[in-house]
Amino acid sequence: MTTSRGSKAVVQTTEAITGTQPVRRRARLRGWERAVGPVSLLAGAIAWEAIGQALDVSVFPPLSAVLGRLGELLADGTILGYLATSVTNLAIGFAVALVFGLTLGVLMGVYRRVEMALDIYVRAMLTAPSLVFAPIFFTLFGLDRITIVGVIVLYSTFIIVLNTAEAVKTAPRSLVEMARCYGAGDRFVLRRVILPSATPLIMAGVRLGAGRAVKGMINGEMFVAVVGLGGVVMTAGRNFDAETVLAVMTLIIVLAFMVVWLVERLDRRLTAWLPETNRA
Amino acid sequence: MIEIKGLNKYFPGRGRSEPVQALRDVDLTIRDNEFLTILGPSGCGKTTLLRNIAGLVPWDTGEILVDSQPVRGPSPERAMVFQNFALLPWSTVLANVAIGLEIRGEPRGPREAKARELIERVGLSGFEDRLPGELSGGMQQRVGLARALAVDPSVLLMDEPFGALDEQTRRLLQEELLRIWEQTPKTVVFITHSMEEAVLLGDRIVLMSARPGQVDDIIEVPLARPRSQHINELGESPEFASITTHLWTRLRSMQVLNT
Repeated sequence: MTTSRGSKAVVQTTEAITGTQPVRRRARLRGWERAVGPVSLLAGAIAWEAIGQALDVSVFPPLSAVLGRLGELLADGTILGYLATSVTNLAIGFAVALVFGLTLGVLMGVYRRVEMALDIYVRAMLTAPSLVFAPIFFTLFGLDRITIVGVIVLYSTFIIVLNTAEAVKTAPRSLVEMARCYGAGDRFVLRRVILPSATPLIMAGVRLGAGRAVKGMINGEMFVAVVGLGGVVMTAGRNFDAETVLAVMTLIIVLAFMVVWLVERLDRRLTAWLPETNRA
Repeated sequence: MIEIKGLNKYFPGRGRSEPVQALRDVDLTIRDNEFLTILGPSGCGKTTLLRNIAGLVPWDTGEILVDSQPVRGPSPERAMVFQNFALLPWSTVLANVAIGLEIRGEPRGPREAKARELIERVGLSGFEDRLPGELSGGMQQRVGLARALAVDPSVLLMDEPFGALDEQTRRLLQEELLRIWEQTPKTVVFITHSMEEAVLLGDRIVLMSARPGQVDDIIEVPLARPRSQHINELGESPEFASITTHLWTRLRSMQVLNT
């Protein structure tokens, strides 16, 4: 799906591809190869534990201490409220980013003039470190949820815009012509030809957007420093409480994995028609 | 009846170069229910001419009349079969065949019934729920043919429909197309770059020459109908041999002039 056209969005998607799946397609996994991932995870856990025990310093607690701390935080409920705040922020922010990103992307992909007008801004916002907008939002909205949500939206939207626009632009002309030939109007062409053909590349952008949304959530919360999981991390960090910092980090990574997993499941559902060999 | 009168078509040149003339003064009358094949070297504008008849692309001067009505855009009366099949890879065979009817706004029930009927006619029963990617090239073009027939057009426009297929599959589909056309006659305009195909299928052959594309010759094919049952014998007949020899002489002189 991402071969041949050699466009900019393709470069963007490889970032996601290498993150989750093998770059080169290989033969079916043999039995013992399936075990490599879990074994590696186990080895990492053992190494962390051993080094933590051996060093015996507060800045690098062993895994067991971190997990113990995570257990405590979850058990006494202190962290659940923060977790709920964070997840809510994430859900709202990502939803807004999806709506903006997909709408703007489709408009830019369909109408050349919209693209010419907005392309430079989208690229600028994609390159800009989105966190610099956090102080502005903070000044405007203070501790309100809007501050964090705004940061999440800025982190996540533009990669979705760019991929969507590129995906829509590269819809096969022969299929569009086929539909026209049978008398299809613009709306039919968009709904039945352009959008389905663009779905795989759009979903690649959504996957990247989801990852960035989680980053935006944490960065935003750490900037504001008193809300959500990011706030917990900041407070713990100031108190030199490495156990809590790492415990929350573990939780955030698990959260990020879950979000990406959900997006991937959706992707598989939407693009089930793609032959297995064409998958990114 | 399709009347093409004094058709001229230019493509804009690249950069500052002059526009390229794709079609020059094309005059052609296509009779009702005629099987017309258009043969010519690459770059002779035969596909452009077909797309003009389909109403997919505009031309510069001249006119095209279908049953005395000027062509102003695409119409389901003129259904097209594409060389690259142009099937929606995310839609099932059934949905692909029904797409013309879907565009026309027919409700699901009737359009699927009609699509199933045509899937059966092109010999694809049992494949209704498959995706195009699961089918061979020959089967995909059967879907393309069924899709075109489903809108019940009076004209079938075929743009090198079997060009991407291997020899045996091509022969099978030629037979199939003739069989369907013999059962339900309609006007067929069939582009090909194969002399053999042009002769075996056509009532008349329009020979086009390149740069700019124009009608070089129109040849009546004296082979008897119906032909679907004995395409192979026809290919051995002296009439077949004499027409292909004639075509080759003409095509060869064009190629020589061009090289």
